[in-house]
Amino acid sequence: MSDTVIKVEGLSKVYRLGTTGTGSLRQDLQHWWTTSVLKKEDPFFHVPTGEAKSSDGKNQLLRALHDVNFEVKQGEVWGIIGNNGSGKSTLLKIISRIVRPTRGTVRGKGSISSLLEVGTGFNPELTGRENIYLSGFILGMNKHEIRLKFDEIVAFSGLERFLDTPVKRYSSGMYVRLAFAVAAHLEPDILILDEVLAVGDAEFQKKCLGKIREVSQGDGRTVMFVSHNMQAVAKLCQHALWLQHGVVKEQGEVSQIVNHFLLTTQQNKTQQVWDAPDEAPGNEFVRFKSVELVPHLLTDNQALDIRVPLTVRFQMWNLTDNALLSVNMFLYTSNGDCILTVPSTAAVYDKGVIAGECTIPGNLLNDGSYFISYYVMKDTVPLHDFESCLSFDLEDYRGGESGWSGKWWGAVRPLIPFHLALKEPVLQ
Amino acid sequence: MSSNTKSTWDWEIVPQTTWLGTSVSELWSYRHLVVGLVRRDFLLSYQQTVLGPLWMLFQPILTLITYVLVFGKLVGISTQGIPPTLFYLTGIVLWNLFNDTFLANSSTFRDNAHIFSKVYFPRLVVPLAQLSNQLIRFSIQFFLLLLIMAYYVIFTPWPAPSLLKLAAVPIIIVLIASMSLGLGMTVSVLTGKYRDLSYIISLGIRLLMFLTPVVYPINYVDEKWRWIVQLNPLTPLFELFRLLMLGQGLVTPGQVAYSLVFVGVVLVMGLLTFNKQGDKLIDVI
Repeated sequence: MSDTVIKVEGLSKVYRLGTTGTGSLRQDLQHWWTTSVLKKEDPFFHVPTGEAKSSDGKNQLLRALHDVNFEVKQGEVWGIIGNNGSGKSTLLKIISRIVRPTRGTVRGKGSISSLLEVGTGFNPELTGRENIYLSGFILGMNKHEIRLKFDEIVAFSGLERFLDTPVKRYSSGMYVRLAFAVAAHLEPDILILDEVLAVGDAEFQKKCLGKIREVSQGDGRTVMFVSHNMQAVAKLCQHALWLQHGVVKEQGEVSQIVNHFLLTTQQNKTQQVWDAPDEAPGNEFVRFKSVELVPHLLTDNQALDIRVPLTVRFQMWNLTDNALLSVNMFLYTSNGDCILTVPSTAAVYDKGVIAGECTIPGNLLNDGSYFISYYVMKDTVPLHDFESCLSFDLEDYRGGESGWSGKWWGAVRPLIPFHLALKEPVLQ
Repeated sequence: MSSNTKSTWDWEIVPQTTWLGTSVSELWSYRHLVVGLVRRDFLLSYQQTVLGPLWMLFQPILTLITYVLVFGKLVGISTQGIPPTLFYLTGIVLWNLFNDTFLANSSTFRDNAHIFSKVYFPRLVVPLAQLSNQLIRFSIQFFLLLLIMAYYVIFTPWPAPSLLKLAAVPIIIVLIASMSLGLGMTVSVLTGKYRDLSYIISLGIRLLMFLTPVVYPINYVDEKWRWIVQLNPLTPLFELFRLLMLGQGLVTPGQVAYSLVFVGVVLVMGLLTFNKQGDKLIDVI
């Protein structure tokens, strides 16, 4: 069972930019004429954005992958994670034999099927039945295999009535269901999946995840899987490979890698400090000295997820004596909807620094992006509105096995116990 | 893909592209895909048409009528005793095979970029499917030609061709098909990279038809200019085809040898460019 089925060694992929692939012969001839004959600057030479590096000043190179090494053993499910443009798809394309690496090798055992897109080879003019066969062939099945599984595929898609209708008359949901149904019945030793879960409704996504789990756990098949849905990765995979700018940043046990990845992607503004009242936001009555968000993490490496209690602190300079002040804290979603308001008691303060803090308990907010604003009142009249001074992202966390891994609806997500019981058993 | 016999790996992906691209056994395992693609193209060509597959017959018949009227009556090209219908139809049927196979293959990478960039299968499957498709069309049109020949043999004093000669016809068909396949595969790599090239290609192939004895016999061309037409490696094959089918054609063994060598070179070149360059092309298209 612990046989290595994919071994990737020193894999690199370099794309040439700017000079090739202008797409027209006239431009390439002109390029050749100006650079080789007239020895001038290339007219089509433009500096591309991204991780480009110039090797000798002539060719712009994009390093999509650099010296990637890893081994996948039989029956393992690997999640490949990373930001956009980190080389995830290039890696899958090389393993799927669609593009050639620039350096390095991939060696493997057993048949391999890749699903880089839902509905590859589908033709809108053909009927559902013909498309099942055609896309099956393209994905590497033979006639016998498809015939054996035909009924199963149709049942999985739930489109029995539309089998002889051209696919162009299908709704997009039906199209995706049929396409995935074919792909789900592939039986390779190694299955490669890229963002397949990004399409379809929540119901369909659930079905896909179920199928992937079934494939990997039931039949001991090896799966490599690229996704931006960290919940899905954490749930389905045992191992993860984190790519950053084409380099393996980390690989290993999935929960650790996912946590580390989430920590770097969170763009949180958790602290702002001003040294002198002159520069600080405010007015002639009050000025903010600092605002701060302190998460109560259980371990150092924990990502900021929905379980974490958050303490929000502020300090402000009170510039007038005998002022009746109160402070309200507002919590907004990134859409600007106010989730809650925390008012302080009003009291009379003299000149000096006023500090305050409150704690938002864990297991209250849903996952998402939030920001916090402070609102200072003097004698029940608004004095200063300090908008979005803090912001943070809460990651999802699923403890109990609910089977659902799509986006949880609602603004809040407190742990409310929900008991079900069978009250009136049917007597046999 | 090459399998290393020393290690226990089933497959290996290396930076080098190979000239052959795939193994015969791998190609064989994808035979269903070839059939599937042929079926798809057949269904697609006649989806939502009134006459459906009958177009395979109507197209050469309509062309035939045009040629008989324009080149036979208006221009008055002598067909040297051969009934004009038979003369033009032999040219049309053979030219269609060359023209359609070449054009279908010349845009392989452009037309299939979306599939090639998403899934692996031996790329050679696509040209093979295109070729099979065109050979089916050709067989139907060739059958029409045989029917019309039978009519002339039965109802007019036109002599029947000898069976021995007819038996040699498949060789010409194989040569024409191989030439168009080889040229088409070479050009497909170029049109994949340079999209604007396909305009020149379609113009060039139309001009080539007039340099091929499709609508005229070779000895209709003035001796002074005949060498230009004879430089075209298609010319001996077309003349030989008419010689075998209708008993008239001007061709020497040397000219046929020239065509044979040309076909061999073009086919090898096509296969090699297609496999070697096709892999690299995925980065560009």
